[in-house]
Amino acid sequence: MTITLRDLEACFEGVIPSIIATADAEGVPNISYLSHVSMVDDEHVALSNQFFAKTAANIRLNPKATLVVVDGLTGAQFRLQLAFAYTLEDGALFDRLAQEVAAGGAQVGLSDVMRLRCVDVFRVVAIEAVPSPVEAVDAPRRPRPDRLFAAENIVAAVAAAADAGGVVDALLEGISAHLGFGHAMLFQSYGEKAQITAIGSTGYVPSGIGAEVPFGEGLIGSAAASGRTVKVSDMSRIRRFGSAVRHSSPDENRTREIVLPGMADAMSQIAVPLLVQGHVEGVLFVESDRRLAFTREDEAALAIVARQAAVSLALCERMSFDPEAALPAHTVPVADGSRVDVAHHPFDDSVFINGDYVIKGVAGRLLVHMLHHYLEGGRREFTNREIRLDTSLRLPDYKDNLETRLLLLRRRLDEKHLPIRLLQLGRGKIGLAVEGEVRLTRR
Amino acid sequence: MLDHELAAFIESPVMQIIGTADADRRPEVGRGVGAWPLDGRRIALVVSAWQWPGTIANLRANGMVAVTFSRPADYVTYQIKGKAEVRDAAADEIDRSERYMVAMVSALMRLGLAPEIIAPWLSHRDARLVTIDVASVYVQTPGAKAGSKLRSVST
Repeated sequence: MTITLRDLEACFEGVIPSIIATADAEGVPNISYLSHVSMVDDEHVALSNQFFAKTAANIRLNPKATLVVVDGLTGAQFRLQLAFAYTLEDGALFDRLAQEVAAGGAQVGLSDVMRLRCVDVFRVVAIEAVPSPVEAVDAPRRPRPDRLFAAENIVAAVAAAADAGGVVDALLEGISAHLGFGHAMLFQSYGEKAQITAIGSTGYVPSGIGAEVPFGEGLIGSAAASGRTVKVSDMSRIRRFGSAVRHSSPDENRTREIVLPGMADAMSQIAVPLLVQGHVEGVLFVESDRRLAFTREDEAALAIVARQAAVSLALCERMSFDPEAALPAHTVPVADGSRVDVAHHPFDDSVFINGDYVIKGVAGRLLVHMLHHYLEGGRREFTNREIRLDTSLRLPDYKDNLETRLLLLRRRLDEKHLPIRLLQLGRGKIGLAVEGEVRLTRR
Repeated sequence: MLDHELAAFIESPVMQIIGTADADRRPEVGRGVGAWPLDGRRIALVVSAWQWPGTIANLRANGMVAVTFSRPADYVTYQIKGKAEVRDAAADEIDRSERYMVAMVSALMRLGLAPEIIAPWLSHRDARLVTIDVASVYVQTPGAKAGSKLRSVST
């Protein structure tokens, strides 16, 4: 059976180092481990050569090379005869490889020394399996869903959703049901700060909704900053992405930081940027306890559904300018006599309800704004349009993302089981539900 | 050529990869399964002729060899180059290779690799003993000094 490059996908995940042999003009051999091999197309591979000047010099004097790559799932070895084709120092392929090298470097604990200078591209002349002393193990390859149909199902559900909450739920539930990944988070970028905020999550308790990740930090921040998908396939040998410090300070009432959750035994992680018209609108993050959990097809499927979610969220934002007729508000049991203490700290717009930290920033201002109107005139219904027009809220002018801010606030209030809740009353309309007698104080 | 530290390193559970080339300068990759110093400038290396026939053929043809020793736990890596001679491995040399393989699997398992993934890499079937007269030693640990020459016969 002829082996093709496509059959070797599990060899290009950077889990097990590849080996390259070259020889100089006199035929003196050189042998080296290689941090990263990528498939360029059906006939070419690209090798990142960060350190090994000898290998780089040899292939320029003698363009023949031999590469041994290892399947990260089975350990099977394959021998590739190569012919040096060309070198890249910039461009789209270079950028993709630089990103993969950075992620791969972090994967093996070498992120500090990994910096891609150039990429050497080789034509693959022949591929053969290296004889193995053990029988090939076929077993661990689990059956995978058809990713095209899975993506179609998820896109259909996301596109059918009429509000931001529906979009987020359809995306995350779809990824779990159709792609089989039960741990996922969706982050939104709000533009005013170099960070993204979790607006939806599945598989984590607590949900982590409201957690913020600075651009460039870890896998998620790296995808946000670069606009490219970032993936690690074997974390068994690595320091985990995301700092241990976060996990050691879960007291959000003191820190006013919502803790980013994570699987304790994650082996594979992927962060896919949500790109709309060239802007990174957010990041979809998925993790798994399996090694090499995300294939190229999974990557493609996640990119498709993430993009649909981003477009749907943007559409929901636009549609919310024109509120539809209000649905009847739920009858809310009014004032059962218990007191609800709401503390607003104007310096960071953080809001605490009965001593529990809720949210800060624009979402905090939104809650306080609605509570003011509630206390002054007993109002319990608001439209996105009037909130946008109210200059006292100091909403960022450029695309305010009001829908997802309200969603984030609503989910936080629900998750904390607080006596103040937000209700979606229809497109562009929000209801405020209060159980008890509100006392709002500025601190 | 081989100071005490390097000699001990070569003998410890480190991964051993072998570069050779044929008369057309077509390079070849192989793996070693056990190495030890013979004296101040020669080392012995066990190689499976069944798994790596091209490597053995090249060594018999021209003897030019490069061997890289790399410790998976911290990536400390040295490459030696020199001239090699090949003969069938003796029983005690195969035993020594066997002990190396056990130690290597243990070391890799401590790093989280499953034994069934490691198994395809390590074989001493049709074992040959490659004796290498070391001409030069290079540091290949990833970083600024990668590729720099540590020692050579001429210096």
